[in-house]
Amino acid sequence: MGFQPRLIVQNWPALLAGLGETLAITLAALLIGVAVGAALCTARLSGLRGGRQAAGGVIAFFRTTPEMILLFWAYFCVPEITGANVPALAAGVVTLGLVTGAYLAEIFRAGIQALPRGQNEAARALGLPAFARWRCVLLPQALRGMAPPLMNYFTELVKNTTLLSAIGVSELSLRAYLLGGQTFRYLEFLTAIAVGYFVLIFPASLLSRRLEARQSHA
Amino acid sequence: MTALQALDWSVVWSYGPSLLQGLLVSLALTGIGFVVGGVGLGTLLAAASRSRRRLLRWPARAFVEFWRSTPLLVQAIWMHFAFPMLTGLRTTPFESAAIALVLNVGAYCGEIIRAGVDAVPRGQFEAGRALGLRPGVLWSRVVLPQAVRIVVPPLVGSAISVFKATAILSVLSVNDLMRVAARVSANTYQPIEVYTAAAALYFMAGLLITAAGAGMERGMRRGVA
Repeated sequence: MGFQPRLIVQNWPALLAGLGETLAITLAALLIGVAVGAALCTARLSGLRGGRQAAGGVIAFFRTTPEMILLFWAYFCVPEITGANVPALAAGVVTLGLVTGAYLAEIFRAGIQALPRGQNEAARALGLPAFARWRCVLLPQALRGMAPPLMNYFTELVKNTTLLSAIGVSELSLRAYLLGGQTFRYLEFLTAIAVGYFVLIFPASLLSRRLEARQSHA
Repeated sequence: MTALQALDWSVVWSYGPSLLQGLLVSLALTGIGFVVGGVGLGTLLAAASRSRRRLLRWPARAFVEFWRSTPLLVQAIWMHFAFPMLTGLRTTPFESAAIALVLNVGAYCGEIIRAGVDAVPRGQFEAGRALGLRPGVLWSRVVLPQAVRIVVPPLVGSAISVFKATAILSVLSVNDLMRVAARVSANTYQPIEVYTAAAALYFMAGLLITAAGAGMERGMRRGVA
């Protein structure tokens, strides 16, 4: 028996297609997440008490409830309620996007609140209009502080894309699992994708730590 | 609209005991993952990755990095389907799930604990040694009390992540809340009622875990200060 790398080489195209799908899901969820996160963060920092509380509730819900149940809810309940046909991929991407939005909202908020008050006050005192104040003074500084947690969340998101296999999205982990079942050789395929995920995630995790270390020294 | 009008929540009551039993399994896995993995294995890994012996340090660090950089779902199915091919050892779904979770949480918390001990200023070690403290006293009286204060908040914060992660283990047919909900939904054809109830249970249990963690942290801060 032993380890048969030949199997991985033979099924390389299928695994590569799965990897492509994993990356596409990550990117799509990230885009939705940035939009949702920015909206939630704006509401969370707004002067409206109702808006602040509503955003806080949404963020708490999506950060506390397991992604798996949200995914099943989106895939099985949303079509029942709306009567619309919801493909598994769409349900998965939107769910991950919403969860990502809740996490990013907190990262954005922490980044903005970490800025010294004086920056905002000085920009106001100079008479900068709101847009220029954010565009030229506040955001560039806030973004630098957010980079490490953002990279770190990216690694979590890549890991969470594997949950979509549970509703039948043919991303990397489901393909490897199915190939393992067909050939009765789970060892080769599951080990191969574990290494694949590591190669994808570890550099991002290292970069996140390096950025953080550089900032704490500066 | 019709789907919402036709909702029949009595299914949640008739299957309530099964769902609660599922929640208990989820909480049990959370407890195992947090105590055995986070506190137990995490401490061992933190100690090994700070060791002066390379033979301890390198494997521990490699393990932590590899386990933190791969998805729990892959670890769980690897543990259940691939590991027996290597060793010939068969484990039940619950055992495979628990092992994968313990190793996963151990790697995460090992890093948290190591970072906490590293955050104790070097001068504390040096001062302790200069005063002629024996290593046991140095650790128990000087280093650990400071490290614990740094480590506990993020460690307790990770409990909610462990709880959320248990839902992933349902792919191994562990009868946790997630899988019980999926089975009840498939039997009754009432996904809206069942999944909504399960999501609400998860959310409430998650809030309780978060609140308990925050309370513990507050209590500890008061106790130490």
